[in-house]
Amino acid sequence: MHRLYLVPTMIINIIIVLIPALLTVALAFCNWDGISPPTFAGLDNFRALAGDRVFWLALGNNIIWTIVFLTVPILMGLLAASMLLIVRRGSNFFQVVYFLPVVIATAITSRIWQGMIYSPVTGVFGLLKKYGLPIPNPLTQPSIALFGVATVDLWHWWGFLCVIFFAALRQVPQEQIEAARIEGATYFQMMRYVLLPGIRPTITLMMIMTVIWSFLAFDFVYILTQGGPAFSSELLSTLAYRKAFYDLNVGQAAAAALVISLFGLVGTFFYVRIQTREGEQ
Amino acid sequence: MHRRTVLKAGFGLAALPLMSRFAFAADQKPISFWYESASPENQDNLKNILIDPFNAAHPEDLLSIDFRGSDLDKQLRVAMLAGTGPDVVFTAGPSYVAAMAQAGQLMPLDDYAKKYGWDERLLPLFLDLGRYNGKLYALAKTYETLGLFYNKTLFEQNKWKVPTTISDFEALADEMKAKGLTPFGAGNADWRPANEHYVSIAINSVAGPENVYKALTGAIPWTDPAFVHSIDKLAEWWDKGYFGDNYFSLTLEQAFAQIASGQAGMAPTGTWNFTNVQTYFPQNNAEPGFVGFPSEKGDPIFALGIGSTLSINAKSGNADGAAAVLDYMFTDDYYSKMNSVWQGEWNLPLADLSKVKLSDKVLPLYEDAMKELAGAVAAGKYGYTTWTFLPPATDTYLVSGMEEVWLKKTKSADFLKKLDETFKQERDAGKAPAVPPRT
Repeated sequence: MHRLYLVPTMIINIIIVLIPALLTVALAFCNWDGISPPTFAGLDNFRALAGDRVFWLALGNNIIWTIVFLTVPILMGLLAASMLLIVRRGSNFFQVVYFLPVVIATAITSRIWQGMIYSPVTGVFGLLKKYGLPIPNPLTQPSIALFGVATVDLWHWWGFLCVIFFAALRQVPQEQIEAARIEGATYFQMMRYVLLPGIRPTITLMMIMTVIWSFLAFDFVYILTQGGPAFSSELLSTLAYRKAFYDLNVGQAAAAALVISLFGLVGTFFYVRIQTREGEQ
Repeated sequence: MHRRTVLKAGFGLAALPLMSRFAFAADQKPISFWYESASPENQDNLKNILIDPFNAAHPEDLLSIDFRGSDLDKQLRVAMLAGTGPDVVFTAGPSYVAAMAQAGQLMPLDDYAKKYGWDERLLPLFLDLGRYNGKLYALAKTYETLGLFYNKTLFEQNKWKVPTTISDFEALADEMKAKGLTPFGAGNADWRPANEHYVSIAINSVAGPENVYKALTGAIPWTDPAFVHSIDKLAEWWDKGYFGDNYFSLTLEQAFAQIASGQAGMAPTGTWNFTNVQTYFPQNNAEPGFVGFPSEKGDPIFALGIGSTLSINAKSGNADGAAAVLDYMFTDDYYSKMNSVWQGEWNLPLADLSKVKLSDKVLPLYEDAMKELAGAVAAGKYGYTTWTFLPPATDTYLVSGMEEVWLKKTKSADFLKKLDETFKQERDAGKAPAVPPRT
């Protein structure tokens, strides 16, 4: 009888998650323009993607994006969270300040950076140029466009990690921290031997989620560069979007989405394994 | 008791939005029309010039417009696929019409064209452009062209002549650059497809409209030396710095404002920018100028573009009402009123513009440009914009591919090779828009 309680959740999951997911898998093997009836295409969509240099470029960009997000915001978050723990004064204020960018809508954050910071006409970069310090808009330089977008996403994202890490650090037994202090541990020793081991499960979880989220990254790139200039900031998600909604090639878009899901699945596998192991312990 | 009163009031208020439906359900047939984004003033213009007068003239119908924003085409595609969607279908151009007509989502308009006499009232070319497999599915809502905007005041100060040939044009751009001006007021920060405005200009003005027609009809490939030369020329303009340092940073409007302020010399762009003329030129005490784009031979080139089209949903519950809306728009009176307050978006392809009377506030330059374009179209001397005549995947590749050429990631020949391959695939799949025979 108690299993009946699962029914509402099951219905929602089947309609919202399972059916669209299965449809995406099916469409990856079809030719479909999103308008007329789909026709079976076998592995053609995957072959076309494999032969498309932009797909490999996007995949490479996704890997770079993942590496950036696995390091920079996590290090920044850990550093700021440990500082908040050590220097308690004003920690509430700084938590709010760090968290603020997270709650600002992506579109607004993007437009602020695009128009008020990067723009050579209306932004800080334009002002710097006026005062004899010309810095090119990173969104317009193929070699750094991806990093220009990543900077905006980092600004928006790292505060979230900081607050999560700070919450985890507060769970580290106070006695251990006190003992380390009495023993004369330096900041790095405290981090290395007390704090980081204490919040390792949280860091691992955040790293796994970062891998999954990095392959889903879309909004900032789409708003700021639409994958350009010259595909230099193209990600798999923007490629899939372009294929589906501009090229009217939903089959190839679904195939690209499956590749994204593959990376997500790997992350999910590790996440579930770690969760199970912790559950057993 | 108090709680009951509140509940009753709540239910009453909640039912209010339904009341209007009951009101028209009995005697009026609704006509829905999904529109893209429009500024608040232009939403008012649509209400005052289209909705209210149409409903007053057709008491049996009730037209309503739903503003769906810039994602209209995606919303429309999903809705049409699900067998719903609006009665009046607004698409972003002929390439969308081909796919929708192929899928049987649009109603053939031939009977309505006969009934209302659209064949006589509209320029024949635009009827041909709305045909798929011999049947009429769409009417062009607005047509546009690419040309050269310039700052007349700046030209007079510098004693510059408006160029008519490509070599004059290049010489002038070099002179502007030497004076410290950016030759082109150009940018694509908010609309990356702006790249194709320049590609359209290059292939029409350098290779020539006849060659573009041949490529569109499959007589020659896009890899033809004439096109390689055009793309090389466009790359050369980029390398010479005609586009300035901030092409990828400036929005379309910021770029256009540069020619009014005298920071840039000229703007190779489309007639939709007439909307921005009044915003920027008077405040800079400058007078605008507009001419057809220079060409190799010296004749001005008017590359023809269709910004959007109107059709009727095959599943429409009130197709007659939707056809009446279309008919209401394609009149001298509607053209005059709408173009008097909103230029660039409602250049309906009427065959005869002699009865059109625009408000005194409308720039004579705009009227002249539109008349010149209509004349060029009627005489069959027009070029082809890529967003109107290329199928969707070819067109999106062109936008990013041109950036690759500019940024030295690929060569003109390789770019055109991939463009040609994509074009052939799409043409074989029946996705290419109609190309009317060239007279």
